[in-house]
Amino acid sequence: MLLQKSARSGQLLSPKTYSAVMERQYAVSDELELAPVDGSVDPDQVQHRFSGVLRLACFFGMILVLFFLMNAMITSGLRRTKTSAFGSWNQVMEGKVNADIVVVGSSRASVQYDPRTIEAVTGHSAYNLGINGTQTDMQVAFFKAYLEHNRKPHTVLFNLDAFAFVTSHEVFNPAQYMPYLYDRALYDALRKINPEIWKSRYLPLYGYVVEDMNYTWVHGIEAFFGHSPAEDYFLGFNPRYRSWSSDFERYQAANPKKVSFDIEPAGVADVEDLIQVCKKNGIDLIFIYSPEYKQMQMMTSNRAEIFDHFRKFTEQYNIPMWDYSDWPHDSDTSFFYNSQHLNATGAAAFSLDVADRLRQYLTAQ
Amino acid sequence: MLFNSLQFAIFFPIVVGGYFLLSQRWRVPWLLAASCLFYMAFIPSYILILLVTILIDYFAGIYIERMEGHGRKTLLWVSILSTCTVLFIFKYYGFFVGSFVSVVQLLGWNLPRPVLSIILPIGLSFHTFQSLSYVIEVYRGNQRAERNFLVYATYVMFFPQLVAGPIERPQNLLHQFRDWHEFSYVNVTAGLKRMAWGFFKKLVVADRLALYVNDVYTYPRAYNGLQLTIATVFFAYQIYCDFSGYSDIAIGAAQVLGFRLMENFRTPYYSLSTSEFWRRWHISLSTWFKDYVYVPLGGSRVRKNRHIFNLLVTFGVSGLWHGANWTYVIWGLLNGFYLVFGWLTKEWRDRLFALFGLQEDTRIRKVIMLASTVVLTCFAWIVFRARNIGDAAYVFTHLGSGWNFHQIATEQFLLRQMPVAIASILVLEIGQLWGRAVSVPNLIQKLPLPARWTLYASLVMTVVMFGIYKKTQFIYFQF
Repeated sequence: MLLQKSARSGQLLSPKTYSAVMERQYAVSDELELAPVDGSVDPDQVQHRFSGVLRLACFFGMILVLFFLMNAMITSGLRRTKTSAFGSWNQVMEGKVNADIVVVGSSRASVQYDPRTIEAVTGHSAYNLGINGTQTDMQVAFFKAYLEHNRKPHTVLFNLDAFAFVTSHEVFNPAQYMPYLYDRALYDALRKINPEIWKSRYLPLYGYVVEDMNYTWVHGIEAFFGHSPAEDYFLGFNPRYRSWSSDFERYQAANPKKVSFDIEPAGVADVEDLIQVCKKNGIDLIFIYSPEYKQMQMMTSNRAEIFDHFRKFTEQYNIPMWDYSDWPHDSDTSFFYNSQHLNATGAAAFSLDVADRLRQYLTAQ
Repeated sequence: MLFNSLQFAIFFPIVVGGYFLLSQRWRVPWLLAASCLFYMAFIPSYILILLVTILIDYFAGIYIERMEGHGRKTLLWVSILSTCTVLFIFKYYGFFVGSFVSVVQLLGWNLPRPVLSIILPIGLSFHTFQSLSYVIEVYRGNQRAERNFLVYATYVMFFPQLVAGPIERPQNLLHQFRDWHEFSYVNVTAGLKRMAWGFFKKLVVADRLALYVNDVYTYPRAYNGLQLTIATVFFAYQIYCDFSGYSDIAIGAAQVLGFRLMENFRTPYYSLSTSEFWRRWHISLSTWFKDYVYVPLGGSRVRKNRHIFNLLVTFGVSGLWHGANWTYVIWGLLNGFYLVFGWLTKEWRDRLFALFGLQEDTRIRKVIMLASTVVLTCFAWIVFRARNIGDAAYVFTHLGSGWNFHQIATEQFLLRQMPVAIASILVLEIGQLWGRAVSVPNLIQKLPLPARWTLYASLVMTVVMFGIYKKTQFIYFQF
């Protein structure tokens, strides 16, 4: 076979292969044309290896500075936000709340308790600390952060959920915590759930772009330039003007058998932790099981067991528990937008009920 | 190790820095060590499988070169069969046994279904094929057997293209490990730009579209025709951006080190026929199958029926290469059918176009051909992406039904993602069209330094800010 030497390696190639190799060697992509690999084109006259490295270092240094600047801009913007969820968080973290009554809980707290109604009925200032997608561990952490920055309340309304004893297995909507990772209580709680949260704290932009898919950074930049989102949080209360969705029917179809919620020892310890914090600070604690759609209640197979645990706490620590499992409207879908959450209409009715009961309770106290 | 991971962001500069600081003697061991580390970041013990393949083909290459007569051919087959056995055990054993048991059960015999749960080593098909091409080229006399084990091992394991190609040929890559690569600012920056473009395709386009596609194709029956159509179009972009993005990163990373890898994609969706599509899609694999399966079968220089057979076999095997599932085989055969149909009807179609006065170079004819190629390719992607044949049939039959413009979003892909998804596709298309018309890097090079850096920094920031970082692997890793 007639063989030809490769110009580069001296290896023997057939003419056909040789030309194919050469063709491939200098082929360019349709998408991006590249400089030849031998580096013969050098428009900037970068002759020295050192100057090349220096230039690359400068470019990446500039990118790094950009990362830090952008991160600072977003964080600063979010911390300056006056409205919506971040506005509400900022009130808490800047110590501007100082309410007499606070509501602690998950989204079921956030969308169901209207502090304005509580204030009007009881005559005491109130604030809602409910956070979307949280379990007791994060709720307690946020409450501790609240105590760190605000005057302690005299009463805490702790909204109970069927999943109150389930611990967090992932951080829901992590971007909401990003501007406040300096807070010890929040950071420690988050680190327990996700040990890699340090990356969000120390690596610029990591928390906003890697961990978040809601473009929270866009809101941060908007807020940095003075644009705050429309107000939808009122003293921490986030009413939902929604009608009943078909989520529950789909959930039922997906779970033809009953569902159960874990009772994790760590979850029980989190509730205990909240009780101890309140006890230590001389805060009156009230457990409230807010309304839940009746059929969902019937779907929960271990509901009695979960309530037994709630009762153990109430008996042991003499905590009042207001159970709204038999709320008169708990089968009326016009008061709910899904099985776990009241819509704005339901929240208004429920807040009035709670406020009235609280007024009587405080008067009796 | 994923290219889109923090580990790689640390790993890569260290490897590059070390490579250029070391003397030639230590560069290959350095690259080999880096490649081992890169591979072992997935499942460390699987490097032993790779070692087995490397050892088999390393010694096979040397002995094939030394031997003469029939012994060479026997040794070639021993080498091919041994390498393919590893691939078969890890990739196809469960599939073939499962299919056999299903057939037997259909015949009424009660045969228990064997349970063998093996995780497929990442990129097994890629390095197996690269290894095979080496042995075959040595056998054909196009390549000298490599005596230096470290060089050969690095050729198989070179980390930029280890897990998803391009599947290199020894004539192109092997000698480059012996070449001295001087640090070149132009090469490094060109490589980095190529990597940035690859990251844009992967993180900004592919992984965002994947949110939609995964939702819809996991339970297609829960979605309406419009959502099925969007998911199918999105998948066409997703798989292209995922895989060509990987190739861009691989080629760019190699170029930073001074290596030249072969091109793997040439804007395949701008093809005017399926055969052209396959000349522009996953070029390193298409040419592999052409060189080592299609041509040895006789290629096109045979009788008509045999030619059809050759095409279908090549595409059927190519489908099976992609995965151990009948959907892949059908996908391959469907593409083979497109080619056969296109070849058989070419005259008839030419006459039809001529009837309407549409000569080959007319724009309308090109648009029709381009659109029909894209549609046919998308239909084929349905079979490729569906979990099973039943799902694929469902998607096919429901694409046009129940369109609801008020129900577009999915669970993971909220409507706020849609503008970014569409914008990213537009940027991609503009970038590609622009790249076809002019040499973009040369154009940018003419700008003053501040403008150039601003442009590059903007690209980096766009990728960083709009990327999706859900730790998603590249689609082709599974093959």
